[in-house]
Amino acid sequence: MNSRLEISLALIIAVLLVCGPVWPHHGNSAYDEEHPITISGTVTEFVWSNPHCQIYMTVKDAKGKDVTWAIESQSPGILRRNSWTKNSIKPGDQIEITLAAAKNGAPVGFSGGKAGKIVFSDGRVLRMAER
Amino acid sequence: MRNRAIRWKPALAAMLAISFAAIAQTGQQQATPKASNAPAPAPKRDLSGVWLYQGSGGAESTAPEKDMPPMTPWAKARFATEKPGYGSRAMPGGNDPILQCDPIGFPRIMFMPTPFEFVQAPNRVLQFFEREHAWRPIWTDGRSFPEDADPTWFGYAIGHWDADDTFVVESQGFNDKTWLGASGYPHSEDMRVTERYHRVDHDTILYDITVTDPKAYTKPIVGPQRTMKLRPNQEIGEFPCVWSEENSFTKRIREPAAAKPAK
Repeated sequence: MNSRLEISLALIIAVLLVCGPVWPHHGNSAYDEEHPITISGTVTEFVWSNPHCQIYMTVKDAKGKDVTWAIESQSPGILRRNSWTKNSIKPGDQIEITLAAAKNGAPVGFSGGKAGKIVFSDGRVLRMAER
Repeated sequence: MRNRAIRWKPALAAMLAISFAAIAQTGQQQATPKASNAPAPAPKRDLSGVWLYQGSGGAESTAPEKDMPPMTPWAKARFATEKPGYGSRAMPGGNDPILQCDPIGFPRIMFMPTPFEFVQAPNRVLQFFEREHAWRPIWTDGRSFPEDADPTWFGYAIGHWDADDTFVVESQGFNDKTWLGASGYPHSEDMRVTERYHRVDHDTILYDITVTDPKAYTKPIVGPQRTMKLRPNQEIGEFPCVWSEENSFTKRIREPAAAKPAK
């Protein structure tokens, strides 16, 4: 065995060691959490309630048509502990949101955990990761 | 022999360096090294405070599916009627009882990503869960279990200290209407649960749980050891399950996300 092969094996093991414990944050397999996407649009509704807060927004699709996206976040309790309030997002806000989209292609997604974040047009950032 | 040992050193060094570098990058919560030293020791016989299970951040079950023991015919028949929203059998149109705001019950409440508070009173320890704003009394006055108790959602719990740092809780008297976790799994009214809350230092509890239910499982279910952290600045919020909110969420998010792809 030459040393190059051994280094390659060690690299593979190292990658596996690091990736091992990083489970998807949300147990629901409806969303593609391996490939988060970022979309931009205008908020039409922000629902601050259990079981998950929700952000509804209008986004232009590839053809320039308006599409309504429905995005679930965390519970109000978890968001509160990340310094959110029920007024953190308002209808009319222009936001860029990182989320895991539904695997079935519907304009539905989950924005939570470490990957989830919202950037406002004034540069303000809201994160969902907790604890 | 000597040559082989020397060739492994650069490989091991590379492996460790990459592992540490990557873990440092992903460990956002530990981005700033703490100035303080190791946490203070655990106070004796005291679990008071708000605690948060350091789980996946989503809903979980008593034990991972791969660790669930075989089910009895009784349990298999029940299992077949469950349509969970999580796990290997997740499916749309689910009938998880918590979707209609049935009490989540015990032990499933322990595996949710919301905190609870321990409050110690003279003859009982009270466990106050943010989820459902539910109180669970754990009697510490040396009593025995009541004869023929009414089956309840959270059961009847009796606790005692094993040394000064481990609180052991036995519970029974459960109804059979709850699931053992987000991926389903039934239990019977004969279920008995043993928990160990081992406070290893001021900020950390190591939590072990075993579920014994011979009517449903051929062997005890042993959960993985879980870590809970003290959250001294947190208050338990008021978050009852509200059916109208669950229903709205199901219609506007769950069902569209789970629908078959449009052709």
